[in-house]
Amino acid sequence: MKNIIIGQYIPGSGFLYKLDPRTKIISVIVLMVAVFLLKSIVQLSIAMGLAILILIAGKISIIRIFRGLKPIFVLLIFTFVFQIFFNKEGALWVDETMTIGFVSITSMVLWTIIWRMLAKFKKFKMILFILYIGGLYLIMKYITYGTIFTTWQFLVYEKGVEMSFFVVIRLLIIITLSTVLTLTTKPTDLTQGIEKLMRPLKVIGISSEDFALIISISLRYIPTILDEANKIMLAQASRGADFAEGKLKDKIKQIISLLVPMFIIAFKRSEDLADAMESRNFVPGRERTRIHDLKLGRLDLLTGLATVLLLAGSILVRIYL
Amino acid sequence: MGIQFKQVNFSYTGMQKGYYEAIKDISLSIESKNEFITLVGQTGSGKSTLAQHMNALVFPTSGTLEIFGKKVTSKRDRHIKYNDIRQKVGLVFQFPEYQLFEETVEKDIMFGPLNFHKTEEEAKVLAKKALQMVGLNDNYLNRNPFNLSGGEKKRVSIAGILALDPEVLVLDEPTSGLDPKGKRQLMDLFKSIQEETGKSIIVITHDMDLVYEYAKRVLVLDKGNLVFDGSPEVLFRMNDLSKFHLDYPQTIRVLKGINERFNLSIDIYQKTVHDATAAIKRGLNS
Amino acid sequence: MGYLDIEHLYFQYSSKRMILKDINLSINQGEWIAILGHNGSGKSTLAKLIVGLLQPKEGRITVDGVDLLPENVYDIRKKIGIVFQNPDNQFVGVTVRDDIAFGMENLQVSKDDMLKKIDFYATKVGMQNFLDKEPSQLSGGQKQRIAIAGILAMQTDIIIFDEATSMLDPGSRAELMEYIKELHQEGLTIIMITHDIEEALYADKLVILKSGEIYQQGDIPTLLKHPEWFKEAYLELPTAIQIYYDLKQAGHDNQELEEYLWAFSSSK
Ligand SMILES: Nc1ncnc2c1ncn2[C@@H]1O[C@H](COP(=O)(O)OP(=O)(O)O)[C@@H](O)[C@H]1O
Ligand SMILES: Nc1ncnc2c1ncn2[C@@H]1O[C@H](COP(=O)(O)OP(=O)(O)O)[C@@H](O)[C@H]1O
Ligand SMILES: [Mg+2]
Ligand SMILES: [Mg+2]
Repeated sequence: MKNIIIGQYIPGSGFLYKLDPRTKIISVIVLMVAVFLLKSIVQLSIAMGLAILILIAGKISIIRIFRGLKPIFVLLIFTFVFQIFFNKEGALWVDETMTIGFVSITSMVLWTIIWRMLAKFKKFKMILFILYIGGLYLIMKYITYGTIFTTWQFLVYEKGVEMSFFVVIRLLIIITLSTVLTLTTKPTDLTQGIEKLMRPLKVIGISSEDFALIISISLRYIPTILDEANKIMLAQASRGADFAEGKLKDKIKQIISLLVPMFIIAFKRSEDLADAMESRNFVPGRERTRIHDLKLGRLDLLTGLATVLLLAGSILVRIYL
Repeated sequence: MGIQFKQVNFSYTGMQKGYYEAIKDISLSIESKNEFITLVGQTGSGKSTLAQHMNALVFPTSGTLEIFGKKVTSKRDRHIKYNDIRQKVGLVFQFPEYQLFEETVEKDIMFGPLNFHKTEEEAKVLAKKALQMVGLNDNYLNRNPFNLSGGEKKRVSIAGILALDPEVLVLDEPTSGLDPKGKRQLMDLFKSIQEETGKSIIVITHDMDLVYEYAKRVLVLDKGNLVFDGSPEVLFRMNDLSKFHLDYPQTIRVLKGINERFNLSIDIYQKTVHDATAAIKRGLNS
Repeated sequence: MGYLDIEHLYFQYSSKRMILKDINLSINQGEWIAILGHNGSGKSTLAKLIVGLLQPKEGRITVDGVDLLPENVYDIRKKIGIVFQNPDNQFVGVTVRDDIAFGMENLQVSKDDMLKKIDFYATKVGMQNFLDKEPSQLSGGQKQRIAIAGILAMQTDIIIFDEATSMLDPGSRAELMEYIKELHQEGLTIIMITHDIEEALYADKLVILKSGEIYQQGDIPTLLKHPEWFKEAYLELPTAIQIYYDLKQAGHDNQELEEYLWAFSSSK
């Protein structure tokens, strides 16, 4: 629970920090669209290169972005494997006969046990995982003796490999872009930017200011609520609620014992908060001045220009290549 | 038996702050019977963190903790049922709102016993008994805990822990937010529970008057360090308590003022108004 | 007529039970009054009525001669601010700066003006170096000081403190009281709601609330002459005064000592 990062903002001084949040939000969206227009691995690799250039120019540590990727590593691997297995277009690159028999299954089980035993070396988790998968492959390919139950063909096509790289690189670029946004923009500025960008929605009756206020209050209370959830969990654990074990029936009761206090406290808090806001003269929908005033500068213009150029570039590439 | 801390450290790994040493090198022993301890220190000194160690809700980052014969270290040991520790050492959190969730007081108090595999009937009996112990009559059993006053909610939340029949009862700032009458009634309640059942009781509080009057033993935390472990008589005889960010009890302050103003030598270490008055009379007569 | 007048005020929540009964109270500009009462005596309800968060069932409240009505509550709130009990539930901003700004934003103060006032009032409550901090990095006492700064920046005439110190430790509590004392010296009207007599002693005038009624009101020395009133209202007397009465009951007469004990409590 404690590892959830909410305000990913990390103070810094690169040019990305000096940009208006609106510029950043729009640029990121536009660039994402541009990335989706690209068709080949080469194009994407160039885009990836550009993304890394932005990081370098913005003095953002690549390692930090990498660390941010950790939680979605599984997703990346899954995407990769999925593409390799299920895309059956283009030239056939690999055609291996895989054997599943008594000996090979035993070996695989043994291999799994060894892998799990080594799993406590958390540092090498990734390497071990890759070794494990590789090992399974080798076992199925080469261990062909003993009673054989069945065989199957492991087929990898050109397009499969290409697509798996393609999808993963695209995902990487998109994640990098959005991380850059949240890493270099204070939550307050972000909501302010969203608010300003949503102004036009007033036409259809949505007040962008109220919306922004809701977002910023949510941002402000997320850490408090997580902290509270943790305390409630400890308080119920004190009464023997064991959230890890127990029968399903007990478990439901225990989850209720967590949810009810959370809701009750949330209601109480929202009442208090409404009182506090009202007593400080807040009236929904009424005109307010703002302490954070956004101003577009030359840097924003340049960034906007660069973004538009990149988009134009990818449109051209899409049409002519 | 009881609870033994041996050089226990604990650090929170927080979201932004990185990691934070909340308690440092704590060595301490708490008997399983007849203790009446108050745990004091300014906000953030680590009181709640220390309390949560006592029933294995959090595990030391380093050092060893022995709770009723079971070793608790930074590593979880699969052979230990940590839940059993929580039955031996009951911890009541500061806000009853953190734990009340059932539609009747009775069901809410039964939640604990049922978690420890008591039957429905046994749990009912325990709930009734626990409610009596906190000074509420049977009429409360069927009431909705959310419609009770702050003081009553607090009592019900304490009953919810007492129903587990723990040997040691730890209470995190039970008197905060109560008016002076409410505070005193609650402390009297803890005292009578302690005397009648022989359970050890540990109360976290900021109120030095209560510490002086009720505690047999005081633990003082300052910035995560255990800086004092002894009787209140010894603590309040120390010269410079502000170094621990603590005050002196009102009786001592008043009597000290009198001594200074009238050049007397009254024994200023009196716990109650009555004792203070008696001491003044003795002081004036001699 | 005072600056804030409450006449024959009655209030009940949705249930039948009358929570406040026939409240009459008059507060002058620059006064410091303490409202003392047991848990559940109706203190918070009264405070919410004064800032127009609740509407009276009967009776009226006037501020500076103007009736407090739903139509003009916005203008009246420019004159009265309130600091609530729970520091966490009234911090609206993502940062300290935002939070101090919140009330001013609602009053449509210009940005430059806001920045100046934020600096000024943050300094006043000793928080000038914390403007970019988030609430999770602040202690309860610091959050309460930010709440005060936010109200000062709205330039109200009255600040109500509804048990604003009750969730703080003694150190932060004493610190907060020092700031409040300073504000009072600068002419602000203070309404201090508390159940702690030691805290009420700072006031010029004491109002004792008991089960929804004003049980007694007057200046502190006068009320302290009636220990039975405190007992009746489920309250405690200051320790020095308790000793005074105890000595008296034991038939002890020592003029000087009595004066000293008396002064011990009223020297605040
Ligand atoms: N869940 C948590 N995550 C990170 N830091 C925490 C957490 N809980 C408490 N702390 C920090 O640990 C220190 C000690 O906290 P705590 O034990 O609650 O102190 P006390 O109860 O004496 O006020 C404080 O500085 C607090 O900010
Ligand atoms: N929102 C509410 N709805 C119904 N009853 C309430 C509400 N708030 C408070 N009460 C009741 O009103 C009485 C006075 O409460 P309150 O003004 O909060 O007292 P105090 O602040 O003196 O402790 C209490 O009996 C309480 O239960
Ligand atoms: Mg605590
Ligand atoms: Mg109240």
